[in-house]
Amino acid sequence: MQSTFTGIEIGKRSLVAHNTGLTTVGHNLSNASVEGYSRQRVIMTAYDPIYAPELNREETPGQIGQGVTVERIERVHDQILEGRIVSQASGQGYWNAKDKYLLMVEQVHNEPKDTSLRTRLDQFWSGWQELSLHPEETAARETVITRGKTLIDSIHQQYNGFKQIRDMVEEDVSATVKEVNSLLSNIGALNAQIVKVKAMGDNPNDLLDKRDLFVKKLSGLINISVDNRDPDEYTVTTGGFHLIQGRVISKLKGIPNPDDEGYSTVAWAKSGKEAYFSGGKLAALLDLRDNDVKKEIQNLDTMTINFIDLVNENHRAGFGLDGKTGLDFFTEYPFVNNVAGNYDRNGDGAFDSTYLFRITGNNSLKPEDQVGLKGTMTLSGPKGNISIDYFPTDTVEDVIKRINMSGSEVVARLNKDGKLQLKASAAEDAKNPDFVIRHVEDSGQFLVGYSGILINSGNGGAYNFNQPNAVALLRGGGLRYAVTPTLHPAAWLEVNKALQENPDSIAAGFGVNGHPANSGDGSAAVAIAALRNSDVMVGKMPTFDDYFASAVANAGLKGQAAAQAHDTQDLIMKKLYDLKDSISGVNIDEELSQMIKFQHGYNAASRFVSEINKMLDTIINRMGV
Amino acid sequence: MDRVSTNMSNNDMQYYLRMRNSEMNDLQNKMGEQTRIHELRDDPVAAAHSVRYLSKLNRMQRYTRNIDSVLGENKVAEGYMKSANNILQRVRSLAIQGANDTYTTGEKRIMGNEVNELLNELVSIANAKTPDGTSMFAGDRTHTEAFRVLSSHVPEANGNVITAVEYRGTINSPKVEISDGSYTDNGFAGDRIFWAEQQQIIADKDAQRYVATADSRIRIDNAYINIKAGDNVYALIAKINNSDAAVKASIDPVKNSLVLETTTPHQIWLEDGKGGTVLKDLGLIADTGKPPYNINRDAVVGGGSLFDMIINMRDQLYKGNTLAIGSSGLKGITQAQDNLIGSISKLGAKNERLQTVSERLANEIPEVQDRNSKETDIDMTKAITDLKMLEYTHKAALQTASRILQPTLLDFLR
Repeated sequence: MQSTFTGIEIGKRSLVAHNTGLTTVGHNLSNASVEGYSRQRVIMTAYDPIYAPELNREETPGQIGQGVTVERIERVHDQILEGRIVSQASGQGYWNAKDKYLLMVEQVHNEPKDTSLRTRLDQFWSGWQELSLHPEETAARETVITRGKTLIDSIHQQYNGFKQIRDMVEEDVSATVKEVNSLLSNIGALNAQIVKVKAMGDNPNDLLDKRDLFVKKLSGLINISVDNRDPDEYTVTTGGFHLIQGRVISKLKGIPNPDDEGYSTVAWAKSGKEAYFSGGKLAALLDLRDNDVKKEIQNLDTMTINFIDLVNENHRAGFGLDGKTGLDFFTEYPFVNNVAGNYDRNGDGAFDSTYLFRITGNNSLKPEDQVGLKGTMTLSGPKGNISIDYFPTDTVEDVIKRINMSGSEVVARLNKDGKLQLKASAAEDAKNPDFVIRHVEDSGQFLVGYSGILINSGNGGAYNFNQPNAVALLRGGGLRYAVTPTLHPAAWLEVNKALQENPDSIAAGFGVNGHPANSGDGSAAVAIAALRNSDVMVGKMPTFDDYFASAVANAGLKGQAAAQAHDTQDLIMKKLYDLKDSISGVNIDEELSQMIKFQHGYNAASRFVSEINKMLDTIINRMGV
Repeated sequence: MDRVSTNMSNNDMQYYLRMRNSEMNDLQNKMGEQTRIHELRDDPVAAAHSVRYLSKLNRMQRYTRNIDSVLGENKVAEGYMKSANNILQRVRSLAIQGANDTYTTGEKRIMGNEVNELLNELVSIANAKTPDGTSMFAGDRTHTEAFRVLSSHVPEANGNVITAVEYRGTINSPKVEISDGSYTDNGFAGDRIFWAEQQQIIADKDAQRYVATADSRIRIDNAYINIKAGDNVYALIAKINNSDAAVKASIDPVKNSLVLETTTPHQIWLEDGKGGTVLKDLGLIADTGKPPYNINRDAVVGGGSLFDMIINMRDQLYKGNTLAIGSSGLKGITQAQDNLIGSISKLGAKNERLQTVSERLANEIPEVQDRNSKETDIDMTKAITDLKMLEYTHKAALQTASRILQPTLLDFLR
């Protein structure tokens, strides 16, 4: 039998339901500008009507509606869209970081301006030209010294610029690792709470929003994929490794790597194994640090070491105004190398390697001569050794070109006396030392008797860097090779102190037929000035002009690509966020109309309750029982 | 139809305003800097080109300065050489006068005195200094006087007069770069300019059986000739004649010794390379002494310098030897003058080349500047209109925002 107070009960339910609706509208309006908030909707449903089909039901037509109830409060949310945002955010994080730091790299190049390193180098060459006009003057020598010093300041400045960027990236790496770890902890903690709330049958809408937000932030830092198929165990992985499994998290940590100037390797905190990332800010930072910026430093080192070597080679052969000869123009400071290039690579106290940057042959060759020999040269390459064949009909120039085009990390050129020089370039693989000739071998006679570099041909006579005193395998001895500096050449370079104190020792002439140079002999100055546009092989680049043009184009193109990718990713993310906002975002107008609706509903329910009240009043008070 | 949330229009507004702001900022920077390439990324390829152009400009300006400097020195040298020629002209007319028997010995002696004064003047011209204070005609030995004078007593003259003039300079002329990889000489070898006759050196040693014992190198003037072990004298002669040196080698038909003779008037410089003894073994040079004064005592040296010719002329005038004045004396002066005029015209040709290169550089510099400016400079008209356009759209966007962002239902509820 229906209760007398059913009406009041129905009215009360309606009041409660509409009140909840109004509260939710208020909650939505209040959180309209909260990041990651999804609007919530009150799902109302009709209350279970009476009577249920039971034996003790009243025989009356039914079912009789029992008013409204709030079934649940849900957030308006698109799970799939969320997944897309997570997968795209890593791209945005990646290119954002790249764009920012590559711009700094471009700025260090300081081109095309007349204050750049290249301009200083131009002025340095011009100084030697001036000296070639007035070889007997001390003033012209002072100019050369001053320009040399300015140039070195520029090289140091550029080096420090790159180094600072690399250090900044390193700091960013450790900050990012910390951020990742704190996000992981937060997500882990939220996971625990969410599971508990869900167990009570409630929807943890706000907690879910918060977790989604953290996950999105995390996906900007590293590439992740999310798996929420198991409602009890929310899983986040990166590259197949678990980051989060429910409440269990795996943190990262940075371990300083002594082999890489103390820059840290990002590893898993528990196992200590290196972690690899393919997207996100962290991947970009590691790539910048170990690749882009490092290459810039390597390139600058390549330019510097070749530059010093070429200038010094000519300068040593010349004579100063005071008759001094054999002096280097630039010196590496502090000079800590063994004269035979012996080096203790593994740090056990005994020499185990030979570090040579340049080897010069004994014999003068002419580029147009046919070699008339056949054989295979083996030189060190980026991944193992590279074989280069030569044939009797090849000219010396052909063979040199073939070496330079072979992709080996050794380049060849003829110096001013026509002697063959082999020079090491920077190593692509971080495991190999930079500017070290690692392997030279010839099955025939080109590198042996013909050019006078090796003593014996074949495997037995091969020069290998991983043994001390490997110079014993070379013909030249003495000044025929140059030792690799163990520090960054671009960082520790100075104009020879002896020349700074006595500029008259600067060589301007080579002299004739073995006699010291006369006062008006400017041949050495001319030869040094001519280095600027001759094929001197600056690493893989034939001339200094080529080097600078390529360095500028390279940095610019990288930056351009990063800027474009960054813009694209930003736009994609904007579109995705727009889509998300379109679904989950709060619209105040909408909420206000909802509010009016609930208000009216509430008013109507109140009116209903008061009508029922009047009816009851009639029965209770007016019937006069 | 997409649902629009309240934040969306705001976010959109911010996004596009941010983009426009950064565009405007970028454009402003470029206009301020007057360049299209504010950052390398703006146009990496143009930046790479520009870097090359800038270096090239630097280089060409340097070459222009080099040429100016060389031309300047050449002009001074040309002046000296021309006045030397004028003096020779005067000596020549005195010689023609003196070759006439109508003048008495006394009068000829007076002519001799004049020639002696002219000789002094010529020596001081040959020892001329550049504005920088270096010797002009001494090759690259610029801190030494080009010619050393030996004076002694000549019976007919009062006091000591010049009896020999020795060249102390070198024949190396310093090079100066005047365009990429192309050089010009910057210096004068006095024993080329102030020379008169072809020089001959006739060794005294029978060279018929000579065979080189080891590989070595010899220097003749500025040419280096490689000698291989086993080369005999004929191979040597062939090598000398094929070399760059303006020297002809032959065998003396009587002595069977080696003879060197110049093909243009100059002094021959002979030297063995380090450790070599080829020229010494052939009896051409001595153990000691530096070239050109290292010729073996036994070798016969013929052919003299301009100064030798004038000294000879003066002495003949002093002696009143009419016949010698008119024949060998006059011939020597003529040869010296020919050689000097040859040097002047060579210098003129060289200057012309330098002028041509200089003019080419003068044309090329603005061209390269133009190309560089095309790569890097901003097109102001375009930049200003672009900026105006951005400003306009910026204003429009702000106005729209002010209308759309403001009203909500709240404005209409009471």
